[in-house]
Amino acid sequence: MKLAAALAAAAVFAVLPLLTSSNYVIGIGISALVFTTAAAALNLVYGFTGLLSFAQLGFWGIGGYAAALTVVGLGGSFWSGVVLAGVICGTIALVVGYPMLRTNRHAFVIATLTFALLATLIARDWVSLTRGPLGIPDLPAPEAFGRRFDTPRQFYWIAWAFAMAAIAFLFALCSSRIGRTLVAIKQNEPLVRAQGISPMPYKLAAFALSAAITGAAGGVYCFNLRIIDPTFLDFYYMQTFLIIVIIGGAGSFWGVIGAGIALSALPEALRFSEDLRMIIYGVILVVAMFVMPSGVAGWLRERRLARMREALR
Amino acid sequence: MTIDAVYILQLTLNGLALGLLYALIAVGLSLIFGVMEIINFAHGELLMLGAYAMTFALPVVGLLYWPALAAAILLVMLAGLLVYEILLARLRPDEFERSILITLGLSIILIHTVQYFFTATPRIVDTQYGFDGVEIGNIRITLTRLIGAAAALVAFAGLYSTLRFTQFGRAMRAIAQNREAALMVGIRPRVVARNAMVLAAGLCGLGGAALAPIQLVTPYMGQFLIFKAFALVTIGGLGNIPGAVVAAVVLGLLESVIGGFFASAWQEGSVFVVMIVALLLRPEGLFKRGGMRVG
Amino acid sequence: MSAILRVTDLRKSYSGIHALDGVSFDVEAGSITGLIGPNGSGKSTAIDCISGFQKLGGGKVVLGDADITGRPAHLIARAGLMRTFQTVRVYDRLSLADNLAIAAQQFDPATWIDEFLRTRRYRQAVEASEKRARQLVELIGLQRYYEAETGILSYGQKKLVALAAALMPHPKIVVLDEPVAGVNPSRIREIEVALQQLNQAGETFLIVEHNVQFITTLCHRVIVLEQGRKLTEGTAAEIHTDARVLEAYLGMTPEMAEAEMRGAA
Repeated sequence: MKLAAALAAAAVFAVLPLLTSSNYVIGIGISALVFTTAAAALNLVYGFTGLLSFAQLGFWGIGGYAAALTVVGLGGSFWSGVVLAGVICGTIALVVGYPMLRTNRHAFVIATLTFALLATLIARDWVSLTRGPLGIPDLPAPEAFGRRFDTPRQFYWIAWAFAMAAIAFLFALCSSRIGRTLVAIKQNEPLVRAQGISPMPYKLAAFALSAAITGAAGGVYCFNLRIIDPTFLDFYYMQTFLIIVIIGGAGSFWGVIGAGIALSALPEALRFSEDLRMIIYGVILVVAMFVMPSGVAGWLRERRLARMREALR
Repeated sequence: MTIDAVYILQLTLNGLALGLLYALIAVGLSLIFGVMEIINFAHGELLMLGAYAMTFALPVVGLLYWPALAAAILLVMLAGLLVYEILLARLRPDEFERSILITLGLSIILIHTVQYFFTATPRIVDTQYGFDGVEIGNIRITLTRLIGAAAALVAFAGLYSTLRFTQFGRAMRAIAQNREAALMVGIRPRVVARNAMVLAAGLCGLGGAALAPIQLVTPYMGQFLIFKAFALVTIGGLGNIPGAVVAAVVLGLLESVIGGFFASAWQEGSVFVVMIVALLLRPEGLFKRGGMRVG
Repeated sequence: MSAILRVTDLRKSYSGIHALDGVSFDVEAGSITGLIGPNGSGKSTAIDCISGFQKLGGGKVVLGDADITGRPAHLIARAGLMRTFQTVRVYDRLSLADNLAIAAQQFDPATWIDEFLRTRRYRQAVEASEKRARQLVELIGLQRYYEAETGILSYGQKKLVALAAALMPHPKIVVLDEPVAGVNPSRIREIEVALQQLNQAGETFLIVEHNVQFITTLCHRVIVLEQGRKLTEGTAAEIHTDARVLEAYLGMTPEMAEAEMRGAA
């Protein structure tokens, strides 16, 4: 049933450009698709595997720069840029992930945060590569089959196709035995080890796949903005991904997808004041952590479990 | 290139001052982690509050340094108390990720509330000492810097004696070392945690207030420092207070020296690079005590 | 009968204190062997070292033909030694069926590629695992909770789930760390019966327990540890009358024990 609802939502998103003529709505649609994908990737590491990773922000930025530089610096196409962004981020995640995952869960959080900050510093200070604070403007529109995806309306299809592919992949992963093992690792790591499973390869794979998807999402999104500069690594993006995961319910696949679609409209609705918007974000985060720490999906689950306990009495 | 001795001395002094500032923040973080096993993401914002409190208190008391400093510290301690009672007291010790997300939310709220009311424009504040300074050879150090450093040293001495010789210091160390055993001898973790939080906030308030006359005051001033402080406490071994102090001072010096000879990018990045190398070598932090309890 | 688990001269010390000071014992294939001793005698440390959850300071552990000394925990499990934990460990947010399936998944030949392609190998592995799971769930009497999350079960029921999970991959030996500690006395009998049935079906157990009655009813052989050393070893009846054991472990003289036995009879 959830799958049917998801397919229906995918279909609605597919025909969105036919339903509205407003570029503003289309723009929100693109953000919703890309942010939801990045949040679903965060859900894989945090929700399923239990690793609170701030490195997502770094991968988002590295992916964006990788895609932009592939096109502008190497003369590649948008498509090769996005693929390269995913590959680069996945590889970096494998390399830095191993020492990070060897530490305890406390140090892991801080190490990933540090990684994100280093990425920000590189974007700002490695001027010969990233052009520093000026950024790389005028990113060209993607092209395929002799067609240019010039307008937001056309770019929307790219974002849609990307989001569908990434979310389908994540769903296949999370509902497989690998996904089930990740949940087991989150819940009880010693027991997993006592059952002959080494947690490290699973954690590393989850971290790297999540990084690759986040990086590719960053690559797609910077071509939507048509410019990339160090503000692409603003902590604001990390907060957005986190809030989507938390409100949706960490560890609930469809909960997070639903929250992504619902919440991506929120920043737009709160456009009147940047500061008030951020304050509301903060309040939502704090209140959600107290009122429903496992999100909407978690809240529904608790009710279902309570009924089950009642029935089994 | 000839290396100028005066230049080196200047860098060293700057590095020490920077290290002391880092230590003020890192010690608080370490204290909180030791007692509650959580990380306070909003710790830098407490420092920022201290700086703003100093900025607004100084004109009120006729630019007198000490009363304004005291007022700022007290205000931040009060803020720490409120944060503990309203938010952190509800957390269990194993809810590490939740503590981060809650204090992250708090940090966002504090930064943007301050920015909303006082704007992002950097503020400069004057004290009774103005730009008075002491001259040692060719080096001139402003009084506000000297006083700030001295106050930090006094605070560390105070903290050391508190932890070492008072009842509530002993309780804090007991909980940090062995929670179960501490509970069994009747130590109340809530009271200890609240004291630790207030103490840590006080150190932060001191840091912020001492920084206000030296540096520009902005809503984001805490954020830059806190991320480095996180790296420092991790290098020192989470919850290890002496480790945090050592890491803070050493890295303050390192940063200052690197900043003196290389581009600023290397200066900013050095802490993080050191941290990554440290974690590669010792995943539990450099100063984490080894060994296990028999049980 | 031959020894399936052979522990020789096991040593472990924490900052100068010898938690284990040269402990040796064998577990016969097809037996139920008990490991008892007063608090701090080193029995939990011993099984943590054997199962790879703590680094051992010295000695040798051989499982079947394989030397498993000092291997990481997951490789020891793959070699055929499954264990449970003193404070019960199950995956609270997964169903009982999933709890059991995960325990077996590392032992079947299907890889993630098989799963992705839904090959015959994968389907057979899942079928076999499910069949085993159903059998074990019936044995522990939790059939009606098969699809339910284990979080809703009681502590004693979770101990049974942990036992069933440890048995899932047909291990060479199952090490139980205090299987009845904290379990409602009325349920202890159920666990006893389940273990006896399993043993008759050929499973080998090494049990660490405080509950002396439980140990003496079940075990063919009992090993007694005291202060990191093996105090003695023998049948349940021998142990129950051994003066040293009674003094070290129960704090009684043989006369007192006899009096108590007579009183009980």
